[in-house]
Amino acid sequence: MKTKRSAAFWLVLLGGFFTPAILCLIYMVYIEKLAPAYSEPKFWIKWYLNGWESMAYLLLPMGIVLATSLIAQLEYKNNAWKQVLTTPQSLSTVFVAKYTVVLFMMFQLFVLFTIGMYFAGALPAWYYGHVPYPKGPFPWQRIVQMSTSFYITSLPILALQYFLSVYFKNFMVSLGAGILMVTAAITALSWRYVYLVPYSYGGVHFMQLQGRMRFKSNVLDIHYLALIYFAGFTLLAYLLYLTKKEKG
Amino acid sequence: MLSAKVASMYCIETENLSHQFASGKNILDNITLQVPSGSIYGFLGPNGAGKTTTLRLILGLLKKQSGRISIFGQTFEKNRVGILRKLGSLIETPSLYGHLTAAENLLLLQKIYQCPKTRIPEVLELVGLSDTAHKKVSQFSLGMKQRLSIAVALLNQPELLILDEPTNGLDPNGIIEMRELFKRLNQEQGITILISSHLLGEIEKLVSHVGIIHKGQLLFEGTLQDLIQKQQESSSLKLSTNDNARALQVLQSIYPEAQQQNGKLALPPLANAEIAAVNRQLLQHGLEVYHLAIEQNDLESIFMELVKN
Repeated sequence: MKTKRSAAFWLVLLGGFFTPAILCLIYMVYIEKLAPAYSEPKFWIKWYLNGWESMAYLLLPMGIVLATSLIAQLEYKNNAWKQVLTTPQSLSTVFVAKYTVVLFMMFQLFVLFTIGMYFAGALPAWYYGHVPYPKGPFPWQRIVQMSTSFYITSLPILALQYFLSVYFKNFMVSLGAGILMVTAAITALSWRYVYLVPYSYGGVHFMQLQGRMRFKSNVLDIHYLALIYFAGFTLLAYLLYLTKKEKG
Repeated sequence: MLSAKVASMYCIETENLSHQFASGKNILDNITLQVPSGSIYGFLGPNGAGKTTTLRLILGLLKKQSGRISIFGQTFEKNRVGILRKLGSLIETPSLYGHLTAAENLLLLQKIYQCPKTRIPEVLELVGLSDTAHKKVSQFSLGMKQRLSIAVALLNQPELLILDEPTNGLDPNGIIEMRELFKRLNQEQGITILISSHLLGEIEKLVSHVGIIHKGQLLFEGTLQDLIQKQQESSSLKLSTNDNARALQVLQSIYPEAQQQNGKLALPPLANAEIAAVNRQLLQHGLEVYHLAIEQNDLESIFMELVKN
């Protein structure tokens, strides 16, 4: 309820539809290329991956950085931590409730993005008579599988950014650290040990799906690594939040 | 350690509460507060005295470094959730979500406290905000935000209210209204109220007990009557004549404690007959008496004197 009409709410809504809208616009402009593209048997998968190209490297990590900061700022900006922390709830409940909101908002972003990609892909076929509607049913199962994979790879960023946003009152700390880490992660994509940089996992996963990833983790699959980082950052955030001297 | 029997008399008790900032500066020094159940306790002190730090420690918003805090006779750390369920608070600036309406702000907390929804219009009515229930809080004036914060503090029908300078930003009419509301809540519902202020004049018409803090030390704690007693003890007979130096000599022969203060002569408070005798004495010595009256320090000057000393 707190996120209703908040900046974080608008960010998720607009962020989910941003890439589909841009892609749709581009396709609508290059009319001549549409017919062959839409005739391809794996149109939907290619189309969906097209959307993830900008999302995986930059837009999703930056979206997470901004959304987590905005969620925490809801309390800081309104001086509301002291109100939240004097309600009859354990500190753990408050931590988990807020964390769940962030996780759910990210889930909403993925759902909106997927719906947006479907309509953005279908619109040119509906609008132009000469463009065929993609053959075969929409591959929901595969799309959900891919979305889940990207969701898991984004969890370490979400956990660390949540910690920074809640722990530091000054939102420039979480925002600055986030921008720095996302930039470093993009640079790290060509590094042999890119698997050590959790902010790059979205990009790594995208490159893996495209068969462009040169390096391979010798230890664990990237999704397991993401879950380990996520658990570690969450635990760190929880412990530091509990032991924070000034809570509200 | 306080016995359970004594503890139950007090709604809030702190024992040797001390707090230091990271710089090593002492903010609170062995504060032992006792807020009796059913009282309206005025917690007074100038800005920076340590009032807000004390209240934040009581509410668990600051990590306690040393001392003991007990609320409703229970240790705060061990019974945090149970204690907070029976408590309403307003600390410093209002804690409200600007992008939500007044009613939505209350609805959020109503869900947490699980109190009846009917409490929302009730508390809005109590603080005079019924007409603005559906207005966004970001469009509220500071006074309206303060009123809404008081409504938030009252939502769960608390047994104890902790209010840190709740009249900040209110106009004189608003201050009177809120004072009357607090009195009513205390008298009709038996709510214990701990209210902080830096102005004694603002709360002397409201409180039954007073604690005065300055530079992290509790200088006075007692009933308002105790403070008034102190005021009466510090009253004096003030007089001025056409020759105060000679008048002082005359008076000191009868009352050795007579002294000159701020251009006037001061004697301890005397009975009416003695005052008349003083007047006669001065006239007999050829002095003209311009002023002769018992002057009482007001509570504010007692407060200032305590703080200065």
